[in-house]
Amino acid sequence: MHIMEGFLPGPWWQIWFAIAIPVIMYGMYRLNKLTTEKREVLPLLAVAGAFIFVLSSLKLPSITGSCSHPTGTGMAAILFGPAITAILSLIVLAYQALFLAHGGLTTLGANVFSMGIAGPVVAYAVYKMGMKFNLNFYITVFLAATMGDWTTYLVTSAELALAFPGESVFSSFKAFAAVFALTQVPLAIMEGAVTALIFKYVIQVKSDVLVKLNVISEMGIRKIKEMAA
Amino acid sequence: MNNLLDDYALMSPLRYHNNKLKLGVAIFGILAGISSASLATPIFVVFCMGIATVFFGKVPLKFYIQLMLAPMSFAIVGAVVILFFFGFGNEVFSFEIFSYRLVANAQGIDKALQVISRTAGGMSCMFFIALSTPVVELFSVLRSLKIPDSVIELSMLMYRYIFVFLEVAMSIKYAQTVRLGYKDFKRSFSSMAMLASTLFIRSWEQGEKLYLSMSSRCYDGKLSMFDARRPIGISEAILSGVYIISTIAVSYIVII
Repeated sequence: MHIMEGFLPGPWWQIWFAIAIPVIMYGMYRLNKLTTEKREVLPLLAVAGAFIFVLSSLKLPSITGSCSHPTGTGMAAILFGPAITAILSLIVLAYQALFLAHGGLTTLGANVFSMGIAGPVVAYAVYKMGMKFNLNFYITVFLAATMGDWTTYLVTSAELALAFPGESVFSSFKAFAAVFALTQVPLAIMEGAVTALIFKYVIQVKSDVLVKLNVISEMGIRKIKEMAA
Repeated sequence: MNNLLDDYALMSPLRYHNNKLKLGVAIFGILAGISSASLATPIFVVFCMGIATVFFGKVPLKFYIQLMLAPMSFAIVGAVVILFFFGFGNEVFSFEIFSYRLVANAQGIDKALQVISRTAGGMSCMFFIALSTPVVELFSVLRSLKIPDSVIELSMLMYRYIFVFLEVAMSIKYAQTVRLGYKDFKRSFSSMAMLASTLFIRSWEQGEKLYLSMSSRCYDGKLSMFDARRPIGISEAILSGVYIISTIAVSYIVII
């Protein structure tokens, strides 16, 4: 769901930059604090960012046959929280623009807002809610990743609709959303399912990582393992 | 996936020129294309940047054209939406799908063409940076722009590990494919999840090792890097000057 370079006219690309920058600043502040307190986090965050990049360059199996990539941001939000995810996805998006020609520089603000801020915030909120109401862990992860993707897709449609309002912003939003829905709605469900499966394997093999990141408590893991046994 | 644009940048003869000049030229092109009302400016930018990338940067022409066509699919989907839902004016053509009438009118066509040409203009500048400046060289530019050290360091380490993990991912995927892991939808689904989770665990272990190795080599929160000094030559200064002036001229002439 990258908006290509040159697609957003002024003043919209500046506006999205203006919205994204304060969040990025806050993320940088958090990052600086974290790295001065615990220096071992920086290498871990770096490999996490590289992981997101590689994950997003893998092709998802798709029923419709269209070429599609996961965003990986839902997973990052669950693991690291939204503030750090915003920074990581800023860097990932810049690399994607330079290496793979996905997205662009003037549209970076809009892309960071939809993929790095709005999606992860929703994914994180859904995950926390699910954990609070004691929903099944995998179902919660699935819902969080799927909802995060859908949010990204709706926000991207809204960004395009605001930049190109036809008769009204709302009607053009409906048009953009309808066109992208064909690929994005099933794709998000796919990514949700894959993310849940990833967490299943990680819990089986190396669950202490998740405990260390405060994703899930020791108790929770024991419960999941008992259920599986 | 194997074909990262950075590989071309490392081989490009343009690599050995001043990085800030290259960045400046490309960013100017993006801004000129996006802020002009006419179609001519972005097309002119595509033309100039294409010549610079193919002729000076020695990128194969066929590869460059393929590259330019790839992002156009997104632009065309968006432009189709704009074409049918935007603007008023004289109806140019219309047809019916599922008893729903789609009308394209003059203003919509204008807008759609404008979006496509702007995207092409912006992408050509992006490709110019991507194909002429390796990311390694951008870090020192970032540092001189006063971006916080922690962010730059994070990007540098990430850059390094992207290649490590890409290789891991490729070899796992190869092994899975050989064992028919992607033979149907259900199989490929679980193979994909297995690949991603293995990658996550591998990268986690790698991160822990990296911290150990860095602190045993006295890492104190600052990686120093080498910044080669490359003064701007007269010929390239003149060439970029001509390019900037003529782009401005094109956008003015067409408006008048």
